[in-house]
Amino acid sequence: MGPVELLHMSVFSQSFSPCGRFLAAGNNYGEIAVFSLSAALSPDASQASQKPILNFTAHDGPVFSLLSTDTHLLSAGNGEISAWSWAELIKKSTKAAWTRKPSYETSLEIPEINAMIINPKDNSLIVGGGDNNIHIMDMETGIFKSVLKGHTDYIHCLCFKEREEEILSGGEDGAVRIWGHTEILLSHFQTCSGMASQECARPQFGKWISCLATDSDWMLCGGGPSLSLWHLRSMSPTSVFPLPGCQREAVFYQDLIMSVGEGPHVSHCLHGGTVKAQIPCTPSSLNTLALNLKNTEHRVMTVGGSSHQIDVFTNFSYRAFSLSF
Amino acid sequence: MSSDAVKKRKPKVIRNEAGTPETKRGRAEGEQVTYPAGPHLIGQRKLFTAKTQDVLVYNEEVELEGRDPQQDYMLYKDTCAALAKLMAEIQELKSGGAKVGSVEMEERRRQCSVHFITLKKLNRLAHMRLKKGRDQTHEAKQRVDVLHLQLQNLLYEVMHLQKEISKCLEFKSQHEEIELVSEEEFFQEAPAEISRPHVTRDDHHQLTLARLDWELEQRKRLAEQYKMSLARKEKIHKAIEQKREYLSSLQPGLQNIMQASLPVQECLSMPFEQMQKQAEVARHLPPPLYVLLVQAAAYGQACDKTLSASISGDVDEAKALSRPPEDSQDDESDSDAEEEQQNTKRRRASVGVQLDDKRKEMLRRHPLSLCVDLKCKDGSVLHLFFYYLMNLNILTVKTKVSTTTDLSGAVSAGSLLNSESLLNCLYASDHGQETPNPTNRYQFDKVGITTFADYVSDLGHPYVWVQKLGGLQFSSDGAQSELMGSALSASHMERTMKLLQGRLQARLALHKQFSSLEHSIIPISGECQHLFPAKVVSGLTRWTMMSYQEFTELGFVQHVLKAGLLRETDLFFMAVVERGTARLLAAVVVNPRYPEVMPLFSLSLHWKGERSGRTEDNLRAMESEVNMFRAELQGPRPGLQLLTNQIQRLCVCLDVYLETESQVCDGSEGPKEFPREKMCLRTARGPSRLKPFKYNHPQGFFSHR
Repeated sequence: MGPVELLHMSVFSQSFSPCGRFLAAGNNYGEIAVFSLSAALSPDASQASQKPILNFTAHDGPVFSLLSTDTHLLSAGNGEISAWSWAELIKKSTKAAWTRKPSYETSLEIPEINAMIINPKDNSLIVGGGDNNIHIMDMETGIFKSVLKGHTDYIHCLCFKEREEEILSGGEDGAVRIWGHTEILLSHFQTCSGMASQECARPQFGKWISCLATDSDWMLCGGGPSLSLWHLRSMSPTSVFPLPGCQREAVFYQDLIMSVGEGPHVSHCLHGGTVKAQIPCTPSSLNTLALNLKNTEHRVMTVGGSSHQIDVFTNFSYRAFSLSF
Repeated sequence: MSSDAVKKRKPKVIRNEAGTPETKRGRAEGEQVTYPAGPHLIGQRKLFTAKTQDVLVYNEEVELEGRDPQQDYMLYKDTCAALAKLMAEIQELKSGGAKVGSVEMEERRRQCSVHFITLKKLNRLAHMRLKKGRDQTHEAKQRVDVLHLQLQNLLYEVMHLQKEISKCLEFKSQHEEIELVSEEEFFQEAPAEISRPHVTRDDHHQLTLARLDWELEQRKRLAEQYKMSLARKEKIHKAIEQKREYLSSLQPGLQNIMQASLPVQECLSMPFEQMQKQAEVARHLPPPLYVLLVQAAAYGQACDKTLSASISGDVDEAKALSRPPEDSQDDESDSDAEEEQQNTKRRRASVGVQLDDKRKEMLRRHPLSLCVDLKCKDGSVLHLFFYYLMNLNILTVKTKVSTTTDLSGAVSAGSLLNSESLLNCLYASDHGQETPNPTNRYQFDKVGITTFADYVSDLGHPYVWVQKLGGLQFSSDGAQSELMGSALSASHMERTMKLLQGRLQARLALHKQFSSLEHSIIPISGECQHLFPAKVVSGLTRWTMMSYQEFTELGFVQHVLKAGLLRETDLFFMAVVERGTARLLAAVVVNPRYPEVMPLFSLSLHWKGERSGRTEDNLRAMESEVNMFRAELQGPRPGLQLLTNQIQRLCVCLDVYLETESQVCDGSEGPKEFPREKMCLRTARGPSRLKPFKYNHPQGFFSHR
């Protein structure tokens, strides 16, 4: 990989291994790099331990989404989903366990896959992307069993509410849709258009929803509109966070909300609507944020964006070091 | 008072005469024995005086000899005691009330006077004795001195004689320096009348004499032989002279024939003459230039008929240099010696001037240089002038380009064909600023040259490939350094010549392109038409050259700078692409190895505020669209249209960016400034909502990568 390619690299997705000792990251060239966190975090870590232990080309297009099950790493490329066994990856073998393609109606351009989540209740994979529809695949059989249609533009993000077994989806059309397990649309609401009075609207950017997160009755959503915290039962925003850029990923963490997006920093927000801190990091804008909570030994936060470097935070209030493609 | 003084002096005399404990003991003895003898001694003296009265001479010295000092001492003691006793009696009488002048007193007074006289006499005697003693000591001392002097004289004489003896012993005869044949050889070869074995076997001296005789005999014989040889040599010399004269008388005739044959040669286009001349001059070339000449000529004949090599410079000077062959080899030590001479001659010259001279000497070029002309298809010629720095043992090159067409006009193309930078980085990271010979570092330290780069404009660039062409190998890589001399040169010749031609072509092509870019025209050739849609609205408005300094101060290129993709040897440009109110600044880095290395664009868009590739993902995508797809953009090999195609793609991307931007935004602010004319499948895709920058040729729509 030449220096010019490194200069134009973007990291779109990350996923920690089930054991929590490895981190997989996907970039815009369709490559997946596997980093050893235990090596990079060990006291005698050198420059070499910040390089991937394995780097392979998984897809033709960018890897927008990565997801780990108990045994496999799932990666989404241009219209296809591949699975890689973690055990094999650690042994540095790069043979895909399987590859599946949802059936698409359009043929001119293969739609991308922007988001994947697992429904642990019935062991199914929920996939959303460029064809405006949500595809649900049975992980046992590998068959796409249903399609949820409703969005009028492509889907940015998906989210799963475990207690109610509901799927939330946010898209370019500015809508957040909530789907019940009976595969019918429970409700949908427009965050921007037609709600110009909403305090979170930012017409100068647009109306798309690019990040979603839920925590019991609360939902975070942001994108073109400002990042805002919603109460789901009353369907009303309770607080709007004054972050200047468009946010790409936000998560609840204990009593904090962590959010990344345009701008070279990770924002720490309080539920009340105030920004507590903005922690600087290397990439000029960020696409993905991941928390490794499975392994207490390697409890880190990693962020990636428009750079070949992935910043690692051992203490969430400052950048410790960077992993590099 | 007078008696006191006598008392004081008395013991002194005694001590001088006999200060040993024995005499003291003797004195004590004498006290007992001689006390009554006092008057008797006095009487003796009286007698003596009576005796001498006959001759009427009183000689006290004679008396002195007869007296015993010990007895005198006793006498003195007795006298003193008697005197003290009398004094005590007088004292007693006086205290008893006796009158002065009474009989007893008078009597005692008289006795006292007699005693005083005795004391006086004794004193005199003591003095005389002392003087005598001194005289005797002096006499003895003088005798001793004389004897000592004699002893020293004798010692000196002994030493002198010893020296003479050792001198004699150390005498060296001249014959010892003469090398003689060994003894065995001598006995074997010398005739009996010279060797005389019966005498010489035992007598070493005779043996040496005999050997010397034999040596003389032999030398006489050899001298005669030498004379004869000289005579023969003279004879041969004369014969040679005669033959040489004959040969030189042939030359004019031959010259005439050659002259006459020239037209024939030209007619048959066989430049024997010229080649011969070149070969003659080439003999005086330094080895690296010679290797270069031979290899270049060979390559020219075999692969590239347009290549020609010629020698220029002062041949006579080169001849003078090459005549004493050891001169050119250990030039350094020679020059050092010369410098020392100069130093002594011109003590007063300032240190700076001396150092300057040394530097000049160090950087001296060989008087001969090599000129290689490389022709391109379009008729332009690349002149390469190769020089050899004798004391540094490196080759340098200067370049000149001559073209068939007029090259004035393009301002930004100024440095494209500049001889300073034309051949920079022909091979990756070969800047030709520092000398490739590691030993030069130490030579420079001696004369205070900090870096060779200061002299590059004057002496030419010492590129590594030049050294290789000349068969000079300095690299310490070890592994591939097995090739030396001609083999090394030959292994690099073809590739380097191809690269040189490629470089010239690329630069000439850029030159042409720049002059149209400066007139805001992007020249797109027919072969590349399919890369772009028919209608491109955005247009180039400015194309200017920038310096490294200016370039690095731009805010939106800092990430490129940090990634280490900017070098001072690169060429820097600023392109401005405009459409309506939008103004796109593109900072372009062109590597000297263009088109092998792609130019790198960094973007900054001024439209509704400023955005750059750092802050906006779509501009970043545009940068990668322009910078990365070499295979699509380079056009026909060797890719001379790469830069113009990149600029054109930038214009297309700006069109897409502006048209889709107004689509995404709810066009609430009246009529759209940029109506959507490009056909796009989707305007945004993926989490970073990238715009479709990829143009699909036959269908004419835009899609995502």
